[in-house]
Amino acid sequence: MVRSTYEKRVARQLLLILSPSLALLLAFVIYPAVYSVYLSFTNEALTGAAALNPRFVGLRNYSRLLNDAKFWNSLFVTFVFVIGSAIIGQFVLGLISAVMLRRHLAFKQLFSSIILLPNAAPEVVAGFMWISMLAGGENATLSRIVMFFGMTPTDWLQTFPLTMIVVVNTWRGIATAMILLTAGLSTIPQEVYEAARMDGANPSQIFRRITLPLMMPTILLYMLISAVSTIAVFGLVYALTRGGPGGATEVISIYIYNQSFTAFQLGYGAAVAVVALVISLILGIAYVRAMKVQV
Amino acid sequence: MTDFAADKPGKSRRPDLMAYATLSLISAFCAIPFFWVLLASLDGNAQLFLSWPREWTLNNYVRVFAEEDGARWVFNSLFVVGGATLLVMVLAGLGGYALSRTRAWWKQPFLYAILLIRVLPPTALVVPLYKILLTLNNIEGNLVRTVIGGEHARAIMRWIGFIDGYLGLILVLATMQLPLALWIMKTFFDGLPRDYEEAAVMDGATMVQRIRRVLIPLALPGLAAAGLFAFISAWGDFLLPLILLSSPELQTLPLGLFRAFLRVNTIDYGFLAALAFIYLIPAVIAFGFARRFLVQTFSGGVKG
Repeated sequence: MVRSTYEKRVARQLLLILSPSLALLLAFVIYPAVYSVYLSFTNEALTGAAALNPRFVGLRNYSRLLNDAKFWNSLFVTFVFVIGSAIIGQFVLGLISAVMLRRHLAFKQLFSSIILLPNAAPEVVAGFMWISMLAGGENATLSRIVMFFGMTPTDWLQTFPLTMIVVVNTWRGIATAMILLTAGLSTIPQEVYEAARMDGANPSQIFRRITLPLMMPTILLYMLISAVSTIAVFGLVYALTRGGPGGATEVISIYIYNQSFTAFQLGYGAAVAVVALVISLILGIAYVRAMKVQV
Repeated sequence: MTDFAADKPGKSRRPDLMAYATLSLISAFCAIPFFWVLLASLDGNAQLFLSWPREWTLNNYVRVFAEEDGARWVFNSLFVVGGATLLVMVLAGLGGYALSRTRAWWKQPFLYAILLIRVLPPTALVVPLYKILLTLNNIEGNLVRTVIGGEHARAIMRWIGFIDGYLGLILVLATMQLPLALWIMKTFFDGLPRDYEEAAVMDGATMVQRIRRVLIPLALPGLAAAGLFAFISAWGDFLLPLILLSSPELQTLPLGLFRAFLRVNTIDYGFLAALAFIYLIPAVIAFGFARRFLVQTFSGGVKG
């Protein structure tokens, strides 16, 4: 194909107007990601001798990771956090909301507005609102609600720390699940349902045989998107527990932060960061493949 | 009887009790934490737990702006996040247009690459980011001191510094929002017919004229969507200001809020709640506007 000089000029102009974005992404995302990999092979620190004269230490940081109980703990906590809040909590409540809101109800707008509200709360505000729900033993708001129903209150963040951050992150993400699943539901043609009802299928059969299978691509995409964004959550957990008590809520992003900015072990923190980057990239590649984007 | 299927037109004669009960429970779960912020901020004697104010007052709000650095925090947040949002709109508007119209070989790899960039957790990037910005800041600081002289250097660096300055935070916040914004704008321009531009080309308009007279007016809804998403996300960000800012006079709202909470022995819940509520308002307003774009964006994301 012979391209005219005009077309070539336009192509150059288009590349030119894209270049500022490209420059920023290279400088502040790509380069830091590569730099992270480099740092993970050094003993760089924020203070002390290593800060002045960092050395290349090969795979030492990674071999240290293998024997680091706190690292494995953070992976486990992250796993529970992602599965509990993104894959189960947000998904189940989001799907129920999406299905219910398709019915003919009064106050539909009101219900959906309220369900969207938590998603609008900045992470730190969400953290403080939930501290007011959970902290303070018998005085905590949740304790009072629980006592109203005749159950025994407890110090929620001390007794069930991991469960509580799962609950709070579920709360924050119901809206995203609801919106995405509503969009998925609306792509299922009504005729399919009518045909199934004609054939005498009951509602649970319709849900299992039609809604779920036809929703599978949307559900898969939702799970990948929400897993990736949940791994990145920092402010919410930091405001709620700062990783405590005793590392019980130390998700990987908190562990990276603690290693780098509390223990000042930049090289070692970078090795943890590289693990987080790799996990996210694998999920991201799966996401891109599942999307089968038409670009 | 449970019906998980889609809506049944004309069949609902009696109220759907189960749907109302379930939605009420989920709504209560979503709404109750908000009551504390609202009520405690209006309570002269606020506690950590949810309680009905005995003494209603606006004093907490007055104190945020009068006694504390609240006005400063609000200004810093609005300035930094507003700046980042504007930058994102300009860059994503241009870049999205290029991505939509070009047929060059780099288009597809680039679009996949920015999808993957979106996936990288910011916590995994902040240490190198901090070091890069520190280097840039030192170079820039030396330059400013040499060219302008030491006495104004500090004041100037506050505005254009990469670390502990407005510029660095604006650039980094904008970069983090760019991938999504580029995708939104690319998809948006894909949906715009090329006829208008071609007509403008026929009339002999230059590229700049085409962008200003034809594309910007047509692109406004897309730019609004990209801007709203960028604003909401940057407004909620806590990590980047936490790492990049240290001067008290530069602190943004999330940091102010966090500091207020850290005064362990004298936590002033009324003040904290008022500050949190002020921080909440712009986010909720922006989210309200963004709602109508949300479904499009998400379903657009699904369909590609």
